[in-house]
Amino acid sequence: MAAEPKLSHTAALILQAIHAGDGYGFSVMEMTGLPSGTVYPAMRRLERDGLIRSQWERQSIADREQRPPRKYYKLTRTGEATLEASERRYPLLAKLTAMEVDQS
Amino acid sequence: MTIHLAILRIAACLVPGGQRPEWLAEWRAELWYLRQRGNRQITVFCLGSFRDALWLRRNLPDVQPWLRLETPAQCLGFLGLAAVMCVLLASRFHAPQMPPLPIGQMLLFMPILAVGCLPALVATSSLRLGEYPANRYGWRWAFLVCKIALVLPIVPSSALVLAWIVGPWFGQCMFVECIIALRWALIDQRQRCPECLRLLDHPARIGQLSHTFLDSCGTEFACPKGHGLLYVPETSTISFRRTQRWQHLDRSWSGLFS
Repeated sequence: MAAEPKLSHTAALILQAIHAGDGYGFSVMEMTGLPSGTVYPAMRRLERDGLIRSQWERQSIADREQRPPRKYYKLTRTGEATLEASERRYPLLAKLTAMEVDQS
Repeated sequence: MTIHLAILRIAACLVPGGQRPEWLAEWRAELWYLRQRGNRQITVFCLGSFRDALWLRRNLPDVQPWLRLETPAQCLGFLGLAAVMCVLLASRFHAPQMPPLPIGQMLLFMPILAVGCLPALVATSSLRLGEYPANRYGWRWAFLVCKIALVLPIVPSSALVLAWIVGPWFGQCMFVECIIALRWALIDQRQRCPECLRLLDHPARIGQLSHTFLDSCGTEFACPKGHGLLYVPETSTISFRRTQRWQHLDRSWSGLFS
């Protein structure tokens, strides 16, 4: 059996926020309460490690709503498996981000 | 252009060229949304872009330094040339409020300044040069001493030229320059093969920090001449090795590097 990947608490929190939230950088900041200088480098690292992937919103959609297109992040299959393992390791993780979603 | 956009543009200079337009577009878009929501923490948000840009600068494998002094001869030759040019420039074009360059006093003063910079150097950089077999590779130390000896004359002479701009801040400028110079000498030393003193190449990542708690995680570099491998841990607190470690390869490995 392959070794279960382990995430630091901060990385797990960010992964959970991407999964539960809208999937862009500022939403992750709002859900986790972490500053931009922590969230963005952590997301780059998660993307490099293949746990999340990024995709730009279509220009036509953004143009229609007269706003700049946004870059969204989604969990990959590996990321989903890692998040499941992290939720077992950090049981409060799901509750914490669920509370943030309810408040917003 | 607002101050926030200016912060993002300055931070973008740190991002490798190929990634810069996309990186800036992402941060500008997020900035636009923050403004729409009337967020008061916009400046703090924008300042975070520097950490993101620095992360990309340090971790993207395709980033090459603008000046690569691969062999020890190239390195010492370049430093020697730079030292001679800086001393000549300082003796001819130093700022008028500064005294003429006293070479003898300068040579006496620089080692004292270097020792004075040590506490600041310890605070800004690690002094560890890694784990290497004891009683071996004495050339490394001779090379380090030569580098420092060539770098130190550059510091006061370039500061004398910079005195045109910095004026009364000449002393502080020289102090900062000395820290940067010594820091560079140490970083360069850590990136070289202890046997041939060439810059190491072919970085290969081992492990993933996001997945790792106490396991191995770092980058392995190889000597272009096949003398060995250097393991550099990603963080000194988490990884199972606290400092970089040299693995000597004997001649039986030479077929891989020929």
